[in-house]
Amino acid sequence: MIQVTQEERSGWCVVGVRGRADSEAADDLEHALRGAIEMHGKVAADFGALDYISSAGLRAVLQAARAAEERAAEFAVCHLTGGVKKVFEISGMHHLLRIQGELPC
Amino acid sequence: MLEEVVLLAVDEKTGRLRAAREFGTAYALVGAVFFDLALARRIDTDTEEIRVVDPSPTGNPVLDRVLAEMTARPGRKTVRDWIEAMFHRKEDLEGQALQALIGQGILRHEQSKRLWIIDVERFPLVNNRPQQHVKLRLARAILSDEIPETRDIMLVSIAEACGLLGYVLSEAEIENRRQRIQLLAGLETISRKVREAISGLDQVLRQASAKVV
Repeated sequence: MIQVTQEERSGWCVVGVRGRADSEAADDLEHALRGAIEMHGKVAADFGALDYISSAGLRAVLQAARAAEERAAEFAVCHLTGGVKKVFEISGMHHLLRIQGELPC
Repeated sequence: MLEEVVLLAVDEKTGRLRAAREFGTAYALVGAVFFDLALARRIDTDTEEIRVVDPSPTGNPVLDRVLAEMTARPGRKTVRDWIEAMFHRKEDLEGQALQALIGQGILRHEQSKRLWIIDVERFPLVNNRPQQHVKLRLARAILSDEIPETRDIMLVSIAEACGLLGYVLSEAEIENRRQRIQLLAGLETISRKVREAISGLDQVLRQASAKVV
């Protein structure tokens, strides 16, 4: 289960995600990120309050990044912490995604 | 995924099956079954563990057998344990995928004798478009710098573990894109664990052959 918030800051759409991004939540996560990407040229996914991400969750993030690439939108994944950060590192996602410690705005 | 990889292994000229890495292929096909279950949203993984998230049948007999076994054994949790368990069951995943491809009218089965004794099996393509499509997706995922679709990431990782990339790309292309191939093959837990299993088996075989020498 995830909770998603969305706000605009300095030209960026910040999508805040809280909870567990597992197979049950993967569709909601991808939908939220893709929706923001369709509406904005710059989207930052704030994962600071994300407790867990599974392979299904990672796929959702990657496919959202793919959608951003297709639309030539900027997409950044921010505030990764603890176990979630480790999952991103182990999978090598940082080679495909823009991952940064702080929000870009 | 399983059927796509087996289709890729069919030599389009002779109808014979290419077997580049015998044990590697067996492990990789187990990985393909887990990918099919993940795509069907029946299982999910994290960096070590695998779990059933929906035990309802998919309609595919191979997947449903594996899913039923996983549901019945919740105590076996790691991806690696399940890959090893399925590998050691020595189920004919390739044969079952070939049957499915024949059923779909993509391949046909031919059996003949060589020197009047040795059985020779061939699986000529009846419709070559599905194989061309799989090859195209594989090449595009590797040769471009774009983020591929989930299914194509899985396809690259399984084809790489089976040693089938050389039938789609030239040696030079594979060498030039080595980093990209490793990157895509490492994205998914299932393919990372398949690679670990293959390299573990390679090590055991090397040690065994060193003892014999």
